[in-house]
This record gives sequence, structure tokens and C-alpha cells, in this order.
Amino acid sequence: MDNRPSHHLLVRIRSSRCEPPGQRRLPKREIGGARVRIGLLTEGGYPYVSGEAGLWCDRLVRGLEQHEFDLYALSRSESEETEGWVPLPPQVGRVRTAPLWESVDDHIVHGRRARRRFAECYGELATALCTAGPGNPSAEPEREPEGQSALEADRFASALYGLAELARDEGGLPAALRSETAVRALERACRAPGAHRSAREARVPDLLTVTARLERALRPLSLDWYEDDDLGSVDLCHAASGGTAALPGLLARYFCDVPLLVTEYGVRLRTHYLTEPDSSPAIRSLLAAFHGRLAAETYRRAAVITPGNTHARRWQERCGADRAKLRTVHPGMDAAPFAEAGESPEYADPQTLVWVGRVEPAKDLVSLLHAFAEIRRAEPGSRLRIVGAPSGPEGAAYLIHCKALAAQLFPDEADGPHAVGRNPVSFEETGGPELPSRADAYASGALVVLSSVVEGFPAGLVEAMFCGRATVSTDVGAVVEAIGGTGLVVPPRNPRALAEACVALLRDPERRARLGAAARARALELFTVEQNITAFHGIYLEILSRTPARRVLLDDTGEPLPFGVPAEAHVPGRWSDPTARVASRGGPGTARSGPGWAVEAGPTRPKTSVAASEGAAR
Amino acid sequence: MSGLDGKGTGREGRDREGIGLDGTGLEGTGREDAGRAVGVAVGEARDAGKSSSASAVRRAAADPVKGLLHRHRDLCERAVDPLEIAAGLEAHGVTDRTAARFRHRDVFSLAEEMYARVPRDRDTPASPEDAPTPGPRGPRTAGVVLALLPGALCAAAVIGLRLTEGRPRLIAAVVAILAVTLALGAALRRGPLSAATRTTSTWTCWLVGYALLGDGLLRTALSGGPDGLPDGSADGPWPVTVAPVLALALSYAPAAGCAHLFAAGARRKLTSSRGLADFSASVRPLLLGAFVLYMGALAGLLAVTGAVLGEPAGHPQGLGLGALLLLARLLIVHGHAHAPMLVLTAAAAAEAAALATLFAGRLPGCGFLAAPVEALVAACGPAGVPTAACGVGALTLLIHACRRLTRASAHASTERTR
Repeated sequence: MDNRPSHHLLVRIRSSRCEPPGQRRLPKREIGGARVRIGLLTEGGYPYVSGEAGLWCDRLVRGLEQHEFDLYALSRSESEETEGWVPLPPQVGRVRTAPLWESVDDHIVHGRRARRRFAECYGELATALCTAGPGNPSAEPEREPEGQSALEADRFASALYGLAELARDEGGLPAALRSETAVRALERACRAPGAHRSAREARVPDLLTVTARLERALRPLSLDWYEDDDLGSVDLCHAASGGTAALPGLLARYFCDVPLLVTEYGVRLRTHYLTEPDSSPAIRSLLAAFHGRLAAETYRRAAVITPGNTHARRWQERCGADRAKLRTVHPGMDAAPFAEAGESPEYADPQTLVWVGRVEPAKDLVSLLHAFAEIRRAEPGSRLRIVGAPSGPEGAAYLIHCKALAAQLFPDEADGPHAVGRNPVSFEETGGPELPSRADAYASGALVVLSSVVEGFPAGLVEAMFCGRATVSTDVGAVVEAIGGTGLVVPPRNPRALAEACVALLRDPERRARLGAAARARALELFTVEQNITAFHGIYLEILSRTPARRVLLDDTGEPLPFGVPAEAHVPGRWSDPTARVASRGGPGTARSGPGWAVEAGPTRPKTSVAASEGAAR
Repeated sequence: MSGLDGKGTGREGRDREGIGLDGTGLEGTGREDAGRAVGVAVGEARDAGKSSSASAVRRAAADPVKGLLHRHRDLCERAVDPLEIAAGLEAHGVTDRTAARFRHRDVFSLAEEMYARVPRDRDTPASPEDAPTPGPRGPRTAGVVLALLPGALCAAAVIGLRLTEGRPRLIAAVVAILAVTLALGAALRRGPLSAATRTTSTWTCWLVGYALLGDGLLRTALSGGPDGLPDGSADGPWPVTVAPVLALALSYAPAAGCAHLFAAGARRKLTSSRGLADFSASVRPLLLGAFVLYMGALAGLLAVTGAVLGEPAGHPQGLGLGALLLLARLLIVHGHAHAPMLVLTAAAAAEAAALATLFAGRLPGCGFLAAPVEALVAACGPAGVPTAACGVGALTLLIHACRRLTRASAHASTERTR
């Protein structure tokens, strides 16, 4: 049903499309519920098998079966593409993919006018990247004058959209982005007065690298996704990560006025800093500026931004995200495997401490063993189970080191002169007959300990909370955010504090049970898949409620639905949240298309016929 | 603590952490920890832990950030902006609560102070030779053997043709053509002359075929022939000129060498030059040098093969064709396939047109068609046609290459992610 002829004669980048597996469902209708068509934008993730964000997106798509999803996926590598897709549920209506890894060429050579247009836009882009400090995009009103930063952000945005329009009108952008014109424009911007110090030092290989990387990052500009029957037809775009994945969403917002929702679990700019420690300063500085400005533009245009945790939120605020748009949606985890352990806290051995995780130096097991030595002094009968496999050769070496230390600190003990002794510290792995799963590991102990010095979002801690176990953890990463008041938190690298907290809990079973129950309740409230899905469902509807209807709604038979669009939608001015209107609808992006309610002919924009044909086909 | 939390693991840990955090970082139980990782911070937290010790108190009281600055000197000197320091500090386990001990609101403002306090007096990049970018260093012997293969096979084929007669000679010719074509294909698939884009094999084959048979056909056609099919000898009814073709096949190895020299030299200039104009100016002599080197090698090979085979060496047409093919290949290799396609097609068409007009001139009333070619052959001999076609093409491509191949963007590496 999606084999309509292309409207444009231009040859665009190859982008495969496929139709849903199985039969198309009839849309369900529920009272008070609206059916939303969501364009899910991913980069190197869902629906590819090896994708990073696969599980999260899969749960979201499967959980919201009353809505309809169109997937727009950018693949990062050839191996990823050859490994194929995960099975898709029927609510996935359309999958369009485009590669980011191979150098594409549409063999369109620009004419003189297009070349000049490109040189202007790219020069603007390069200037925006070179001037001012990278990574300081409009976030610091107290440092930069407000007008200056806004000017820079506008310059980047106008250059970006200028390039997108050029790609839409003429094609041939990938070749142009790699051309000498681009390299020269970048060099000119780097050498211009006012350029950042490290950008001024850029040498020719740096310029070439930056040009190639920018070409790659800007590849979504050349895709043919921004037509009325593609991203133009969805109700909202949901970018599963920031950066390049959000770029199609930005353009859909610019060309088709589709609202954008951005979910970020890790901020792209921070990832860039951490993954490129060895590039030259010029490359790092220019690319950081690009990612920073792209993030700022994304946050400026997005209707709602959902960071996965407070850490991501802080970075987003730093990069210029408006606090009013931020809604933290914690990642959802499957609570079912831990339900049994959580509902039977009495099976736990009251003298056993459990540590579960991947063995590596950042977990600081040495500190844990020292702490356990003190615990043994206070509570001679206690035992420690360390459950987990080493990660990588470094982890394996660390595990050996820890085992040796444990053998030194704790001699084997036996119950009597005729019994075989054993060490109070045991190193185990899940999967064996004794510990079939992680849930069993948590269930076997009365107390779960976390001794890391570095931690992101502590998934293991949340699992322990699901199991209803009292926890003692170090104050790192998002531990405090996750645990709230339902566990004890000690400073990292402080074995004595860790030991004291553990002893206090070991000697107080009631407090342990209380904390465990509270932790389980908190985890079930905040970190389940259901809450994640419900949160996104609510956010979808919230965004839609703020977005004027852009087309005629159709019922099951293909007839226009009367009163599908509320009458308020025709009223010019504010009829819903005014700040959101200004925030998400303002700016230069709307100069071209204008808000839906401002169109004289009413809310039915010219895409009515397209929507009608789609509806009839469905 | 053990020695495991030393600085040695810090770098690796940071790399891994970046990978771990990329994307969402945590999807349910699948991933253990979003920010797994990382070499261990050497002890900002430890400071606080040992706050009872007198020295720590004194140090912390005077300037708490100084110690931190010292521990993360590397990170701070490398950083291009405060946010990079903030990211690095966080990867080392510094949180907002740690930052509070340094009397800062959050890690960002702590990073800003550190960024501001690190001395940055090095205006010139301290590491001009940090990225030597070694060229593609494959098994060299295999490359050399492959480069020599077409020439060797062609020489063997010529010997075979000379030694056989009649039907075996036909078989030998077919086998020889097949073998040389395959060897050339294999050689072109790797090494400095390999190109990712579609190639121009049809027109190349036509041009080489003309060099083999065209001159003889032209000469016999002018004198009313040809009276039979070519029999592989230079004195048959349709004489075959083997010498230039053999020289071309043998010159594949010098061509690959010149292309390699050019690419390696350009890469070297790329790292050493300061700006794009600088680069263009320094690469132009390199390109011309490589071109002249190849022409010299080809001229020598032409002379040798001519002498050995006892044929006229055919210098002008051989040199013209060689120059045309080399320049076309260089342009294609560096990503400019459009112009070589046009020029090769034009040259082949010109040669074909010359033959066609000659035969068309035999039709009654069409004698005028053959006049230009006859005039050209009268002036320069049969070699004039390919020399003019290839020479003009090569000149065009040389001018084009001087503009295109001296640009830095022609030497950007195009890698794919596997």
C-alpha cells in the first residue's frame, strides 16, 4: 500500500522501506483515547538486532499497541544491517531505514546557483561552529550576552535548515558536503578572526576529518523522509536519542510542522567528549561545537524532552534545554522475574550479604572486602556472596586479585573439627544449579551491598529493590536518585562507613524488612516497564493536545469524522498552554508553513487528499 | 587500596565508558550498569574520607581544587572547553556532591574553574607528528607480484604467439587475452590503483584493442584492404602491433609505483601543510613528477619492447595512450570519475569514427568522408589517429587532474564502518 510513485524526480539516497508483518489491524477506539501515529526515530538501535536501545524501544512499541508506530531507523554499520531486525509487532506500520556508514552518492552535480547556495549555508554553519566556545551553546546567560548566544544559535539553525532545503530542492548534498568547497569554507571559518583558539590550530587533516564527520552527521538532511506521506503524515516524532537521530525530527518539524519528542538516556555531547580523547584539539573542539549546537537546536524545537535520569537532565539543562519542557522518565525494567523474591522476604538468610554485578575495578570489591572484614569482627557469623562474571581481561585480573585478597583476609572456617571448612566469602556466577538467575542471587541474602566508585544508572540496585531487599550503597552516579530514602547510602571508598551501615542493618531485622518493603514499593512505582510506557503515553497525548490538528480525522470506513477537531482549534490565539505554543511553534521554522490555525482555509492543510487516500487504504 | 586503581587503567576505562554510555545505556536487565567503567578516580573522594588527617585538612583549607587539578592535569590540559573536563571528571566518579566539597555548586562550575586555572601557554600544537597516518601497509610482496603479473603474462603471450602457428596460435591468442584481462582485473582490485567506484573497462579495452589492431587496419584500409583476419604477426594481411601493448602491460608496475608515490607523498604533505592553498601548491609538483616518472618508464619500455620484438616502437601513440589511462585511473581512484569517463569515451569514439569514415568513404559518392583521415595519415602516418585522440584526451585530463587532484578533499580517506 505504500507503493505510490514518488512525487519528485530527484534521486535521493537509497532508503529501504517495508510493510508491516502480517495483517494490518483495525484501529481500536477507546473512550477518551486518541490514536496517535508516532514516527519513532532511531540511530543504530531499534529495530536492528544488535541495536543499543533495542529493548527499550521494543517494550515501548509493544506496550502502546493502541497507537501506531512508523520506524525511521539510521543504521550505524554494515554488520548491524546484515544482522537483521527484531520481529516487529503489528502496530509498526512502516519501517524506513538509511545507512550512515557507507559513503553515498546520488550523482547529482550542483549547478552554479546551487553551489553558491551551498557555499553560503556551509560557510554559515562553519562560522557557527568556529566562533565562540564549543559546548557553551546558549546555556549561559550570565557568561555570554544573551543576544550573542541567540544569534549564534540562529546562525546554526538557519544554516542547517538552509542545507536541508538545498538537499530537498536540488539533491546532491552528500557530494557537496565532501567537496573542496566545504573544506575551504571550514578553513576560512577556522582562520577568521574570532574563531575559537583550538579551531584556529586546525590543520589540513583535521579539516578533512571534520568535513567527513559532518557529512556523516548531516546525512539525514539528504533523506527523502520529509514528504507529506512520510514523516509529514505522523502526528509526532519521537527521537529515541539525541544527536543525529533527532535530526530527522527537527527537519520534520521544520518542513511539515510535526511536533518532536526527544528521549535521551545518555547525552550525545557527553558521549562525544568521552569517546574522542585521542583526536586532535581542533577535531574535538569543532565536533563538540557541532554536537552542542545541534543539541541546543533540538532542545529549542522539541515540544517535550524526556531525560532518563537526573544526570542526563543536568546535561540537557546545561546544553540549553528549557526546564519547562523537561520530564524525567525513568527507564523501565521488567519486574516479573523478581516478583517471587520480592514477595517472600522471609527466605533470605539473615546473616548473608550479597553483591551482584559485573566484576571490574570500578566496582571497588577491594573496599567491599575490607568492609566485610570489619563486619566479621562485629558479626562473626556473617557471610558474603559475590555474584557476577568478570567483564573483559581487566575484570578477570581484578577478580583473581579479589579472590586472593579474600583468601588472605578470611581463612576457611568449619563448624567443627570433623567438618569440611569453607570461606565466608564466596565468588559465584549465575546460571549454575545453585543460582539459576539474578533474582535467586538477590533472594539468597538479607542485605544487598553496592560498593562502586563509578556508576551510571544502577540497574543492579533497582533489581535489588524489586526483590524487596534492604540495600547499602555508595553515593555515586544516580544511586541516590534511584534509592531515594529506601536504603542506606555511604560515601564511596569508605569501608568503615560501609561496614557500620551493614552491621546496623544486620542487627536490626525489622528495619531491614521495613526498608526492603519500601524499596520494593518505590521500585514498582518508578522503575517498571509499565510506568515507562504510561509516562510516554501521557506525554504523547499531552503533545497532541497542544498541537492543532493538521488534517481531517477519518473513521474506520474512511469517512471524515465530524468534530474530530475541536472547535477551539480554529480560534486564533492561545487556546491551550500558551508557553508551549510559543516555545514549540515560534522561531524561524514556522515562517514557511505557519501554524495550522493560521491557515485561512481552516485546519485542513493541503495534505488532506494524502491523508484520505491513506485512510482508505488502511 | 591496591595498585589497581592507578592511573594506568584510567585511559582505557574512559574509552570503554564512552561506549557503554552511548545510546540509552541501559535497557532493563540487559545492561548491568549504564556507566560501567572506568579507571578509578585516584582519590578526590578519599580526601574527604580522610578529612581527619591534618595534612588533608591543611591542603583542603588552602586550595581544595589544586590537588584535583594536579591529579587531572592531563585531562585539563587536553580539554578544549569546560564541558570536556566536566565529562572527564564525571567519568572519574566526581559527582555534584563531590563538587560541593570543593565549594562548587556542581561539577560544571568546578570544571569551569579547573579549565580557567590550567595554564595554556602552548599556542602551537605540541604534537605535529602525533598522527603520522601510516599508509595502507598490506603484504607488500603480494602487491608487487600482482603489479608485475599483467606484464609477465603479456610477455608470455607474445612469446606464445611468436612460437605457434595456425590454429594453436588462435587458441594461444584467446588464452592470452583472457589471462591478461584477468590478471589486470586482479591487480586493479587492490593496491594504489584500486577504485571503489564503477570503472571504465569497456572504453579502456577498446583503446588497447585499437593500439593492437587499429594501426594495421588503418594502413591496410588505406591501401584497399584488409584482405584477411589478423593472424597475430606484424607482416600478415592485417598487421598486429604488439610492442606498444606489451609495453603498456609491462608499465602497470611503474604506474602502480607512481600512483603509490603520489598518494603517499600527498598524505605526507597533508599532515605537514598548514593550509589548503599551501597543500595545493606543494602537491602540484608531486603530481607532475609522478606523471613524468611514469612517462619516462613507459618510454623506456616502449623502446625496449620495440627493439626486442623488432617492431617500430610506436612512441607517440603508446605514450599518449599510457598517459591517458594513467591519468584517468588516478582521477577515478581519487573520486573524480565523471571527467575520465567522458574523455575516455570521446577518445574511443574518435578512433572508431576515424575507422568508420575511412570505410564509409568507399561507398559511392561518399569519398569526401575519408578525406580528413587520409590527410591526417598522409601527414603523420597511421599513428597520427590514436596519437591525436589519446594525446588530446591526456592533455585534457592532465589539466583537469592538476586542478582536481591538488585539492585536499581528493585525498580524504573514505572509510566504511564494518
